[in-house]
Amino acid sequence: MVSPIYIVAIGLGVAFLIVLSNTKLFNFSLILLLLSLIAMTSISGFWLTHYLLLFPLSIDFPYEEFTAGFAPPIAINLRMSVFEAFMTFAINLFSIFAAIFNWKLFKENGKYALSIFLIFTMAANVIIMTRDVFNMFVFLEIASIATAGLVIFTQNTISISAGFKYLMSTSIISSLLLLGAIFGYVSFGSLNIDFYIIPILPDIAPVALFLILIALVLESKPVFANGWALDMYESAHPNIGAMFSSITTPTILFAIFKILPLIPESWLTVLGWIGIITFTVSNFLAIRQTHIRRLLGYSSIAQTGLMLMVLSFASELNDYFFPIFLGFLITNMVAKAGLFWLRDMIGPDELNKWNILRTKPLYYFLYIIFIFALAGFPPFPIFFAKWHLLMNLNFTSHAPEIILLLVGSLFELIYLSNWFVLTRDKESAQESTYRPAWNQIIPLFFSGLVLLFASAFYLNNLDLWLFAFPSAVVLLFFFIDFVPSWVKTVLAMVFVAIAAYYIYPLVQHDQIRLLFASLFVIGSLLTLIPTFARKEKRLFFHAYFVMVITGLLMLVVAGKNLEFFLGWEYMTLGSFFLVERRSLTKNTPLTFMIFSGVSAYFLLAGFMLLNQGGVSWFASIVKSIPEILIPGLILLLLGFFIKIAALGLHIWLPSAYAEADDDATPLISGVVINAGVLGLIWALFSWKLLNLPSDLFYYLGWLGALTALAGNMMAIYEENMKRLIAYSSMAAMGYVLFALSFDMHLGVLIALYYTIIHFLYKTMLFISAAGVAFRTKTHNMYEMGGLIKNMPLSFIAVLIGIIVLAGMPPLAGFPAKWMFYNAVVMKEWFFQGLIVFYSGIVAFLYLYKLIASVFLGQLKDPLRKVKEAPIWFIIPQFILIVFLLFISVFPDQILQPLASFVPSMFGGEQLSWNGTLANTSFGYNDAFAIMNIVMIMFAVLFTWLYINSRKAQKVKQFNIVFAAEKPFRPETTHVSYNMFAGYNKALGFLVYPIFSLGWKKVAEVIEDVAETIRKWYNGNGQAYALHVLLFSFIVYLIIFGGFAL
Amino acid sequence: MTIDWIKLLFTLLGLFIVLNWGLIQYGIVRRITARVAKRIGMPVYQPYIDLIKNYSIRSQVSHGVMFYLGPVFRLAGGVGIFLFMPMIYDSPFSNYSFAGDIILILYFMFFGMLGMALGASEGGHPYSFIGISRGLSQFTTIEVPFTIAVLALAVQHHTLSITDIVQAQQGNIWNWNVFQNPFAAAAALLAFLGMMGAAPFNIVMAPQEIPIGPPTEYHGTYLGVLQTNRAILYVTESILMVNLFFGGATNWIELLLKSFVVYMWPVFVSTVFPRFRVDQSVPWFLKVPLIIGIFGIIYLYL
Repeated sequence: MVSPIYIVAIGLGVAFLIVLSNTKLFNFSLILLLLSLIAMTSISGFWLTHYLLLFPLSIDFPYEEFTAGFAPPIAINLRMSVFEAFMTFAINLFSIFAAIFNWKLFKENGKYALSIFLIFTMAANVIIMTRDVFNMFVFLEIASIATAGLVIFTQNTISISAGFKYLMSTSIISSLLLLGAIFGYVSFGSLNIDFYIIPILPDIAPVALFLILIALVLESKPVFANGWALDMYESAHPNIGAMFSSITTPTILFAIFKILPLIPESWLTVLGWIGIITFTVSNFLAIRQTHIRRLLGYSSIAQTGLMLMVLSFASELNDYFFPIFLGFLITNMVAKAGLFWLRDMIGPDELNKWNILRTKPLYYFLYIIFIFALAGFPPFPIFFAKWHLLMNLNFTSHAPEIILLLVGSLFELIYLSNWFVLTRDKESAQESTYRPAWNQIIPLFFSGLVLLFASAFYLNNLDLWLFAFPSAVVLLFFFIDFVPSWVKTVLAMVFVAIAAYYIYPLVQHDQIRLLFASLFVIGSLLTLIPTFARKEKRLFFHAYFVMVITGLLMLVVAGKNLEFFLGWEYMTLGSFFLVERRSLTKNTPLTFMIFSGVSAYFLLAGFMLLNQGGVSWFASIVKSIPEILIPGLILLLLGFFIKIAALGLHIWLPSAYAEADDDATPLISGVVINAGVLGLIWALFSWKLLNLPSDLFYYLGWLGALTALAGNMMAIYEENMKRLIAYSSMAAMGYVLFALSFDMHLGVLIALYYTIIHFLYKTMLFISAAGVAFRTKTHNMYEMGGLIKNMPLSFIAVLIGIIVLAGMPPLAGFPAKWMFYNAVVMKEWFFQGLIVFYSGIVAFLYLYKLIASVFLGQLKDPLRKVKEAPIWFIIPQFILIVFLLFISVFPDQILQPLASFVPSMFGGEQLSWNGTLANTSFGYNDAFAIMNIVMIMFAVLFTWLYINSRKAQKVKQFNIVFAAEKPFRPETTHVSYNMFAGYNKALGFLVYPIFSLGWKKVAEVIEDVAETIRKWYNGNGQAYALHVLLFSFIVYLIIFGGFAL
Repeated sequence: MTIDWIKLLFTLLGLFIVLNWGLIQYGIVRRITARVAKRIGMPVYQPYIDLIKNYSIRSQVSHGVMFYLGPVFRLAGGVGIFLFMPMIYDSPFSNYSFAGDIILILYFMFFGMLGMALGASEGGHPYSFIGISRGLSQFTTIEVPFTIAVLALAVQHHTLSITDIVQAQQGNIWNWNVFQNPFAAAAALLAFLGMMGAAPFNIVMAPQEIPIGPPTEYHGTYLGVLQTNRAILYVTESILMVNLFFGGATNWIELLLKSFVVYMWPVFVSTVFPRFRVDQSVPWFLKVPLIIGIFGIIYLYL
């Protein structure tokens, strides 16, 4: 039993000793500092092990240290329960690494710096442990003065004025606390909060508690009264900023936690509101920030607000309180500190100067995990914390807070990913000669390790092999990034194969899962093949790739909403990285991330509502309350609509697909888009199973039809072949949505069938495009032409792809069209049907453009020596062709089993089969016969032509009938650019970009508002002091004015 | 798959009749249009002469495999529509319509079109590209009124089978769909003008403007194949209209006469109208014909 008083004793003693020591003994002092921090950590660690490992039963009987040997209220008592043990352990351990990181800073600033640092840490310890309000006041003052001392380590006018503003504001805050202590003493007869039970003077007691609370809340830097804190974050040395977020913040929050039992329940609501408004507004204002330290300050304050809200919900969250709170706390401590430290290492405060990191993979990796841990992505603790927070809050009583939370999280995601995306441009990053020093490396890696360890701890609650292990595999790929590309590809394939083997038994009895698992596995393997062709080093490319695959596979084995969402977020994050790697402008990945974020928050909100109705797995809802289910499922649908790029939510899609690496696009488009379909199918199945209003299907029908039309219409005006194919994906998803909306057996069958063939042809087309771009080094179709002679195999693949896409007999697309017609006339949805059929024909325009501009027409001079795409591109294409041709000849072999996948709740007519002949009550189709007839006819006619013109002479390129002239250049003869100008003139108004412009306007308004509100922080110390007072006054009015009671 | 030789024989016989009727019809039409222009015009048998001449030319060039296959695709498209179309109601001349219904015919039209487009494009002639882009553009909107007419018929008779649609029109002239659903018929007939590519919708071939569009580079046997296709396709598409709206036919004479009369509709229109611009021609089908087509649907519910 080591008394916690030694923490204080060591801290104070060594701090004084260092000041008194000779300057020549500086190195010795430094080591002494470290040793004392280690000793303090050990004491906390001792108590932590005492409660958690050695004597778990004593956890309910916390140790009390009576200073001066008297029991309170005569003397001050320090408590060391498991909470204090944990908190002091965390901050002391952190201080060790902070001290190591500050090594150089200390050397520059001398022994007084050491002393201040130690005092600061010690003060934090006491604030955590003490039960005495006055003692708390004293040590808060000590901490404040120490903080101001730390701020002016950086000696310039800005930091000195910031330090002064800080002192001004915190002294007001401390005075409030002191007043609270006085009132408390008067009303309870004690300074010790353990005695704040039955007041002697009940009238004064609330005022006392209010003053104590408001002082601590003000210390947590609530929004609009935190200008002093922001200026301090901005001007202090980044290492000191790290300490504010990682030591001060947890300390203050713990102090609030300590007095929570004293606070009346009605005040908690106000506390929660202060927290959530701080969270949302700080994140909102951070969007416009370009200064890294200030941005991190905003982020810290926002997170603190969120934790404050969590604190106010402590009793409601019950058992989940600690995992949630600690999830936020730990991530914020290590990730925020990590980012501040990186800022110290990297140098500039401008967001866009951090591209230097891309030349340093290890630090870049740390940067990635810090950023995305804060943004709340899995597997990091905040992801789980947010999840459990939402799942355990009662939506009906906390709806506004929850909405603010989601909106605030979106803002947070925006500025964090904006910062990340700005580091995209590797070319302009100067090769840095800077070598990080040992004292910087150790703490950074420590932060990274803590984060990963904490993540592992949270992941541990899920199925080890299905969720935790794959996460580890993704991590592994980050660490083996140095090995040759082909090795990583092989490893990734092995991983997919093993995963497939392992998940097969889990999905084989659920046909929808089996179907999508097959798509994802086959898709992953096939899209991995082309990566063999690229030998150059691509930072973390394979890790991102594997992350997407892992996410996809998690989706099909998910049995709970959380597991599904985990997979979804992995998939999204991986896709984002792949999009971001090469993007031309920052807007592309950013838009992708914002839309994906909105999608994720829709899902989160949907899952939350379902959870309130007792539904833990949205795909098989047995029974629940319709009032909750309907909005819940609609929110899920909205989330999935974004992923399938339904009209209005599609603007992220074309650029994202076009600007991703060529060999990544097949995965993130052809394969990943099916995740949205899977979600859609599951959500709609639940909708149907529960007999919820079928009006929904009617609206979905229109949405699907218009999406199909818009996608195809926009595709025809594209000059970039990847954007063209991307728009075509959007249209294909429109078809799938339209098919699902029929709300009948045939419709679901079409959706499943179309999903399969779309997967096959779209993956193939994107691989073809990648192969072509690999050789031609361009995506602009008008720069190509006549490549059929150089790339015949790619041409064949594209040809088959477009015939299937167009739905022309005799290939696999036609049965889909035929079923669509049957379903439309059965359902009598003429106008929606007409739009869909029209859009199907519009597709011919861009399909022609795609194949003719690239492969036909005039070969350009720069491309004369272009060779066929590498074999690694050809292999997957031809595997896909084999699949497509098989389905073309024997669609019955696919459609018949698929029909059994459709749940029986979907009524309506089914296809009846007579051999290879498919029948409905309207029409019939025999794909096998059609194929035979067409093949024989074609062969006969070909023979006929061949007999007649077998001696046809091959002529050179320009040997054409050209008004008796020889064309001047291929460029003047190849009609490709703006090929459908006439169509544009006639019907171009249909593609007026209302949605792009609309969203752009939304973004502008948000930025303008943020810019305006930001001016509240005018940098004036007096104004800041006034803010503090006004804040207290307003909260006082709210609490005592009857608003909250 | 066993081959039904009798059926094949009947089908080939039908094809022979249709081809010859197509050639003669084309000769007659040329003659008529010449007379309208106060010319004498070519002999009625001129298409035969052209065909024989073109098939006989031995000096030929090729721009590549796809160029070579283009006419094959085109002719396969025409012959395919013929093969999948029931010719004479209640007779052995039902061809291979057992394989698919009206949807198959609708989509098989694209087979030849797209194949030809690809072949012509490999020729690398700018006029080919321009013609094709115009043709595809125009076809997107032509299909709209036609599709809505087909949907109306399908719902009216609860079938997508052409044979069944023909059957439903038997017995009385009033059973013809042109009387049963005049709006649908009108929409389809207006779309038919575009399908035939006659003026004012002849923006694809567009003589004197982009002579002669997609087939610019085709000559000799290729051109012969294309001419063969034209003969078959025009008759077959007219027969489609006859089957859908004019009661079909129970014998060859009825069929050929009806299809001839239907075919005269675009011919007459084309002799009096000049050519549209692309941006006039494309949206035209989305105006009056579409509105009429929508009436065709509403009519079903009245």
